[in-house]
Amino acid sequence: MNSMIQTVDLTKKFNDFVANDHINLDVKEQEIKCIVGENGAGKSTMMNMLYGLLQPTSGKILIRGKEVTLNSPVDAIANGIGMVHQHFKLVPSLTVYENILLGAEITQKKGGMKTPFIDQKEEIKRVEKLIQENHLELNATDKIEDISVGGRQRVEILKMLYRNVDILILDEPTAVLTPQEVDELIATLKNLKEQGKTIIVITHKLREVMELADSITVIKQGKVVGNVLKKDTSERELAQMMVGRDVVLTVNNERKQQIESEIMYKAENLTTVNDYGKEVVSDMSFEVHKGEILGIAGVEGNGQSELVKLMTGLMESTKGTVFFDGKDITNWWPEKLRKAGIGIIPEDRYAQGLCREMTVSDNCIAGYHGEKDVCKHGLFNKKTINAKRDKYIKEFDIRLGDVNGNIGNLSGGNAQKVIIARELSANPKLLIACQPTRGVDIGSIEFIHKQILKFRDAGNTVILISSELSEIMSLSDRVIVMYKGKISGEVSPKEVSMAAMGLLMAGIGKEEQDHEKER
Amino acid sequence: MKKKDSIIKGIVNSVLPVILAFAFGAIIIAAIGESPLETYGVLIRKSLLTEKGFMNTLHYASPLILTGLAIAITFKANLYNMGVEGQMLLGGFFAGITGAYLNISNPFISKLICFLVAIICGMLFALIPAILKAKCNVNEMVVTLMLNYAVSKTLEFLTTGVFKDKSAGYVATPTIKEDVMFKRFGASRMTMFFVIAMIILVIMYFVMKKSKLGYEITAIGKNPEFAEATGMNVGKKIIIMMLISGALSGIAGAGWMLSDQFKYTLTFSANPGLGWDGMLIALLGGHSPIGILIAAIFYAALKTGSDSINMYTAVPKEIVAIIQGMIILFLAVKFIGDKTSVFGRFKKAKKEDA
Repeated sequence: MNSMIQTVDLTKKFNDFVANDHINLDVKEQEIKCIVGENGAGKSTMMNMLYGLLQPTSGKILIRGKEVTLNSPVDAIANGIGMVHQHFKLVPSLTVYENILLGAEITQKKGGMKTPFIDQKEEIKRVEKLIQENHLELNATDKIEDISVGGRQRVEILKMLYRNVDILILDEPTAVLTPQEVDELIATLKNLKEQGKTIIVITHKLREVMELADSITVIKQGKVVGNVLKKDTSERELAQMMVGRDVVLTVNNERKQQIESEIMYKAENLTTVNDYGKEVVSDMSFEVHKGEILGIAGVEGNGQSELVKLMTGLMESTKGTVFFDGKDITNWWPEKLRKAGIGIIPEDRYAQGLCREMTVSDNCIAGYHGEKDVCKHGLFNKKTINAKRDKYIKEFDIRLGDVNGNIGNLSGGNAQKVIIARELSANPKLLIACQPTRGVDIGSIEFIHKQILKFRDAGNTVILISSELSEIMSLSDRVIVMYKGKISGEVSPKEVSMAAMGLLMAGIGKEEQDHEKER
Repeated sequence: MKKKDSIIKGIVNSVLPVILAFAFGAIIIAAIGESPLETYGVLIRKSLLTEKGFMNTLHYASPLILTGLAIAITFKANLYNMGVEGQMLLGGFFAGITGAYLNISNPFISKLICFLVAIICGMLFALIPAILKAKCNVNEMVVTLMLNYAVSKTLEFLTTGVFKDKSAGYVATPTIKEDVMFKRFGASRMTMFFVIAMIILVIMYFVMKKSKLGYEITAIGKNPEFAEATGMNVGKKIIIMMLISGALSGIAGAGWMLSDQFKYTLTFSANPGLGWDGMLIALLGGHSPIGILIAAIFYAALKTGSDSINMYTAVPKEIVAIIQGMIILFLAVKFIGDKTSVFGRFKKAKKEDA
C-alpha cells in the first residue's frame, strides 16, 4: 500500500524543551493508525503540526510522497487533512447543517447573479446527502444544543468530510463518550475507512486501540518507541511499551519507622458525575494510614482528576463519605479542608494552585490568607507576608529573577516549589499531591520528591496522584490503580512488576490476570 | 522593571484616549472658527486654576469619586454592577425624603440618619442582583442594567404623586430642611461632603490594596478557579462586593442630595447620570482608588469648565459633551495590551505579511 502521510525526522522544540524528537511516522493509504502514549508524550504536538497549528522546528511532512508546508489549518484542509478536536468547536444555538457549512455557506443565485442570502434548502439537501453517504445517524435540522455528545462529534467529522479531506485526525475522540457512543464511533470510523479515508486517532485507551487500529505507533517522551501492526501485538505489549521506562529516579525511599495502624483518611463509596452527566468516579473506597504514602496510579483520564477535585473540595460527590482524622469531611470547602490540616498540591498549578498575574508574595499566602499571622482585622501585614516569602525562597531553593514580580515569570519548577513551600509550611497532617512534578525540571523533581518523603518521615500522611509511574513506584508505600473511575487493583510497589502494573492500568484486574495464566 | 513597564502602559492607556478626545474637540472648535487653545485655556483656567473654580470642581467630583469606587470594586472582580445609577438615585431620593420630613433638631444626627437611610436603600437594591447571581448564576449585568429603569420610573411616579411638593411650580419632592443640608465653604459650592468622599476613598484604598477582601477580589477577578481552589467562597464574596458597591452608591446619592440638590427632581442625576459617569471614571482610573480620584477631578473640571466656555467664548458648552463622548469611544480601544509590547506587535504583523 502507498504511504498517505509521512513525517521525516519531525522535531518540535519549545525553547529548550523537546516535545517531538525526530519523529518518523508512516501512515498508509486507507488505514486506521492509532497513536498511543501518556499525556505529555508529544502526541498532540505532533498532530498540531500535521494540522498546521504548529510549525516544526525541523523535519519534513510528506503527503502522498510530496513535501508540504502547512502554515495554518487552511493549508492542512487544502492538502486534504482534517482534524476533530477533543473539545468540539460548534455553535450550540445553530443547527447541524448551519454548523457544517459555517464559513462555507451556499448563497442563493438569481439569474446567474450571487445574492447575499443563504440558500437554506440547498444547504440542507447537501448535508442530508452527506449524512446518507456516510451512514451517519444525524438529523440535519436539529440544533446542536439538543443532540448528544456523540452526535456532536459526528457533526465535527461531517464538517471535515464536507471539506473533502482524505485524512482525518481525531484527538482523544472517546474521552467524552459513553461506552455505547464509543462503539458507534468505532463503527463510523471503520465505515469511513471503507469509503477510502485515512484515519489517525490519538488515544491512550488500549481496548479501543485494539478494536480500531490497523497499525499502532507508540510515543513516549517525544520519541517513537514502537511501530506495530495490530495483528502482531496485544494489549499487554502496548501497555508495557507505554509505561516501561528507563529513567531511574535516585531518591532513597527507606522507611525509618513503621506505618501506624491509625487510619488518617478514608473514602467510602465515593461517586461523582462530570458536566456531561457521565459517572467518572464510581464507588471508590480506600483508606490511608498515618505515616503512609498512598499512590494512585492509572492512565490519565480514568477519573483521577475528578477524584482529586472531590478530595480537595472542588467537586461534589453524588454518593459516598470521606473521613479525615475521625471527622466526616464529605464535600467540605477547600478553606475548611486546609484549616482541618490538609495540604493540597493541585493538578493544574496555574489554574488552581497559583494566580499568574499576582505577585509571588500574594501567591505565598493563597489559601492561608486568613491566618492570624498575616491578616489582622481583615488587613494584611505586608512585612510578615514578605518575610514568609523570603523564608520560602530560602528554604525551598526557589530561584526567581524579581522577588516583587508576578509568579507568571517563574519557571514551572520554581512555581511548583512555591506551592509546595506554601502547603508544607502550614504543617498539615495530610498532603494531597496531584501530579507534583508535571512539567518540572529534573533537579526540581528530585527536590520535590525529597520534600514529600521528608514530610512522610515526620509521621504525616500523603496521597499521591500521578500518571508518572516511576514517581508512584518509587515514593509510595502502597499503590491503588484506577481504571474507568474504579479501583482496578491494589499492589505493593516493591513486589509488583511493571508488566503487571501495565495490565492493571489497562483495566485488566488481578483475577483476570491469574485466570489467563492458568489457561 | 516589569512593574514600571505596566504602570507606564496603564497611564498610556488612560491618558491617550483623553488626548485624542481633546484633539478631536480641537478640530471641531477650529471648524466653527474659534481658537481651540483659547477655549481649552478657559476650560482649564476656570476649573482648576482659580480657587473658587477648583473648589467647585472638587464639589462636583465628590459623588463621582464614590460612584467610581462603587463600580471599580465590582469590575475588579469581573462582576459588572451596572446598577450604580439606580442604587444612587434610590439612596438620594430617600435621603431627600428623610431630610424633608425628619424632625430632629441636632443637624449632625439628622444628616447621619439621612445617610444611613441611603446606605440601606443602596444595599438592599444591590442585594437583588447579588443573590440572583450568587445563588442562581443569573447574569448580573442584565439585571442591574434593567433595574436602573425600574427605579428611575418608580421614583418618577413617587415624585409626581405621593411625595410631590404642591407648593413647587414643577415636579419635585419637598425641600430638605436648611439645617440638614451641608454648609458651603465660602463662596464656592464645596461642602463637608467632599471631605466625607475623601475619607471613604482612603478607606477603600486600604480595602482594595491591603485587605483580605481586596486580595480576594483581585484573585476572583484574575482567576476564579484559583480563588475557589484556595478556599474563597466566591458566591459569598459576590454578595459582599455588591453590598459594598450599593452602599457606596447610596452615600453618593445622599451626599449629592444634601450638598447640592435640596430636593429630588427628575434631573437629579443630570445627564447621563452620576452612576454612568462613575463607570467612565472607574475605567479611566484603571479601577485603582488613586486613579479614580484623578479621573473624577478631571471629569468634574470638564463640568465646571463647560459653563465658563459658554460664558467667555463663542464655543457652545456642548463641546464638552463631545469630548466626553470621544473619551468613552477611545477608552473602548485598548491601545496597549497587558502582555504585548507595542513593538512586539509590529514585529509580529511584519512577520505575518512576509
